[in-house]
Amino acid sequence: MSKILLDVNLLSRHGKYLKILLIAVLYTFVFSTITRAESIKGEIVTIISANSAGGMMTRYARMIAPYIKKHSGAADVRIKIMTGGGGIRGTNFLWFEEPDGKTIAFTSIPSLILAQLSGSEAVQFDATDLTYLGRAATEPRVLTVGATSSILNINDARTLDRPFIFPSQGTDEDFYSMAVLADVLDMEIKIINGYDGNSDTALAVIKGDGDGHITGWSASEAIIEAGDERPILTLSQERYRLYPNIPTALEVVEGDSRQAVQAIVNMLDMRRGFFGPPNLDPIATEELRMAISAALNDPELIEQSKLAGLPLLPSDGKAEQQKIGQITEASQIIVPILEAALHAIL
Amino acid sequence: MLEAIFAGLMALATPQAMIFMIIGVSYGLMIGILPGLGGIVAIALLLPFTYGHERAATLALLLGAHIATIWGGSVTSILFKVPGAAKSLALVFDGHPMTQQGHASRALGASATAALLGGLIGAVFLAFSIPIVRPVMLALGPSEYLMMALWGLTIIATFSEGSLLKGMIATLAGIMAAYVGMDPVSGTPRFWFGSVYLLDGISFPVAMIGLFAVAEMIKLFVKGNTLVSRVSGEEQSSVFDGVKDAFRHWWLVVRSSLLGLWVGVLPGVGASVGGIAAYAQAAQTSKTPERFGKGAVEGVIAPDATLGANEGGGLMPTLAFGIPGGESMAILLVAFLSMGIVPGPQMLTSELDLVFSMVWIIVIANIITTLIGLAISSRLARLPTLNPNIMIPFVLSVCLFGAFATRGLIEDVLVAAFFGGLGYLMDKYQYSRANFVIGMVLAEMIERNLHISLGLYGDFFILTRPITLAMLVFIIFTTALPFIRQQRHKKNKQANE
Repeated sequence: MSKILLDVNLLSRHGKYLKILLIAVLYTFVFSTITRAESIKGEIVTIISANSAGGMMTRYARMIAPYIKKHSGAADVRIKIMTGGGGIRGTNFLWFEEPDGKTIAFTSIPSLILAQLSGSEAVQFDATDLTYLGRAATEPRVLTVGATSSILNINDARTLDRPFIFPSQGTDEDFYSMAVLADVLDMEIKIINGYDGNSDTALAVIKGDGDGHITGWSASEAIIEAGDERPILTLSQERYRLYPNIPTALEVVEGDSRQAVQAIVNMLDMRRGFFGPPNLDPIATEELRMAISAALNDPELIEQSKLAGLPLLPSDGKAEQQKIGQITEASQIIVPILEAALHAIL
Repeated sequence: MLEAIFAGLMALATPQAMIFMIIGVSYGLMIGILPGLGGIVAIALLLPFTYGHERAATLALLLGAHIATIWGGSVTSILFKVPGAAKSLALVFDGHPMTQQGHASRALGASATAALLGGLIGAVFLAFSIPIVRPVMLALGPSEYLMMALWGLTIIATFSEGSLLKGMIATLAGIMAAYVGMDPVSGTPRFWFGSVYLLDGISFPVAMIGLFAVAEMIKLFVKGNTLVSRVSGEEQSSVFDGVKDAFRHWWLVVRSSLLGLWVGVLPGVGASVGGIAAYAQAAQTSKTPERFGKGAVEGVIAPDATLGANEGGGLMPTLAFGIPGGESMAILLVAFLSMGIVPGPQMLTSELDLVFSMVWIIVIANIITTLIGLAISSRLARLPTLNPNIMIPFVLSVCLFGAFATRGLIEDVLVAAFFGGLGYLMDKYQYSRANFVIGMVLAEMIERNLHISLGLYGDFFILTRPITLAMLVFIIFTTALPFIRQQRHKKNKQANE
């Protein structure tokens, strides 16, 4: 007890110095925290690739990472693979990370948004609250029909005297896009789920088992060129330059329906993108957006992407964040359609 | 056509093409031997090195590596009961019993020769069947794929000796394991217990590594002996006995090769299903089906011939339609596009010499793989006689590394360990592990194709689709054949007595 009293006396005698020491420690702690949050310069930035190690997404992330390092001033930019649940596992992890810019992620944005909108139990994040940093690449999605089909254009598909048969590989973005399209175009559809990838749905359409399917241009281009499929509609902001006669979905809808289709097109347009946790530090956000934009416009990377067969179509992080806002606004219209589509196949 | 065949060969007669081919084959053999890794990984890792070279040389590198992985995967199936990839699974059933009986060299020789003959027959038939590939692809659909999967399922009777009930339980357990993760039809999570890891399902190569490799090492540790006794490993047979076996069973090789070719041509039918279907037809058409599962050399020859021919078949839809016949072909398609090769019907007319270059690559890569294989088989056959103190840590570390490498997830290592324990218990209490994996492989294919068939063709699709009905009759006939033979044999025996 006497020892404690002695210590109390000691404290009161040296209280002034201790207060100064405490303030100095607090100041150093706060200052260093603020400094860390302000900038990613000199820091190690980790990009979570939420897809498989050998997959297209990770190949993109690995190709771009050195250029983000070059343009951001970060000490290093590293890739961390977190495969699982179609990007959900990696995004769940990012959701709980510090918003200091040192951990960001790269994956298919539509998959995340749809996983959330369709009420996936595995989702722990809110895709609308994530900080979008820039899009690396996207490609228009296209609705194609078989070359021997009697359906020559989207109007033929709308006026069929039977349901439009849509082979699908699962509840992915193409499944939901078709559900929204059919709803707004007042088309009767029959979705046959369970196909084993785009190859399988393409073969079903060529054979005539299905009327049409939705896929990316890169996957369908060779088949269209070969004369086995015919494009009738694109899900993109503008007409595709190689097929200027094919209308976009936005052109064939009117009124309130347009908002739903615009939301779907925006979502598909976001495709391969970088994003950070919610409330990402504004300075880190700005630095990362600038660095990603500069990297994706670096002539050296553009050349490398051509050689690797990984085409780039960059978009600014701010523009991507705005698209998220539009998707959120339209979610009240979309969600019931998505739920109905899911209910129809269960 | 003859001009195209010659031009295709000449395109490979450059130093770069030949060097690339040898590099590809050697690399493919190494990747194939590593458990869990196969042709998909081999091609994916090579892609960054394929720019700026001759087209034929680049194709020689990629296809050479892919083809060599097939035999690499067979080696570990036969020697250690570790399937190098999912498609090498059927090699475990009779290949490893042959090793245990001291016929490892013979099994390896038969395996390498069957893969070579399968590759050659597949390539020759591929060349001649180019005009009919499209009509056949367009004629077959999900209901026929369903029948093919059901045919594979009939083989469970072969591995249920002793207790059909135990065999059925093992198969059902395999089907249940395959249902972990997202339902392929509706995307509904099943048996995931709130774990995002389980949402992707149990990786099939990881489960196989556990069920067979890890379980065998546990067994070896408990037994405290070598995998194969040194005496039996050295004395029983030679590599050339296996080579002769493959030629002796030439009709089985031809049948299996044609099956492999068409399994490759049809997207949606995986090579692992093809291996099991080949094994099923070998067992069901054999006069002595009771030898299967106990070290019948035909059980090695049939799946290897199928796998050898499968690759050529997989090229067809990739080239003719731009529709990849499998995952590895999808990666190859990326390489084609970056080389300026645009798949489509014109490939079979204006670019026919390039198509034949690929056919030649399949032939030459198979020959190189087999020559290397035959040269090293007798040395490889000694590996199972290693002291368990060396063998267990060596095999376990390679397998657990392989389990991790398949998806880069540490959880996969734990799953491999779990399946190791399960495999050990199944073996101890005589629940067939082969039936478990057959259930696991075929469950998704049956589920997918049954659902699609019902949706597209209605409830009575079996009766309304003539090819499906014919296949069903064929399945019933081939399943009943061993029983009919058995009855006849009994009657003859009684008559003689």
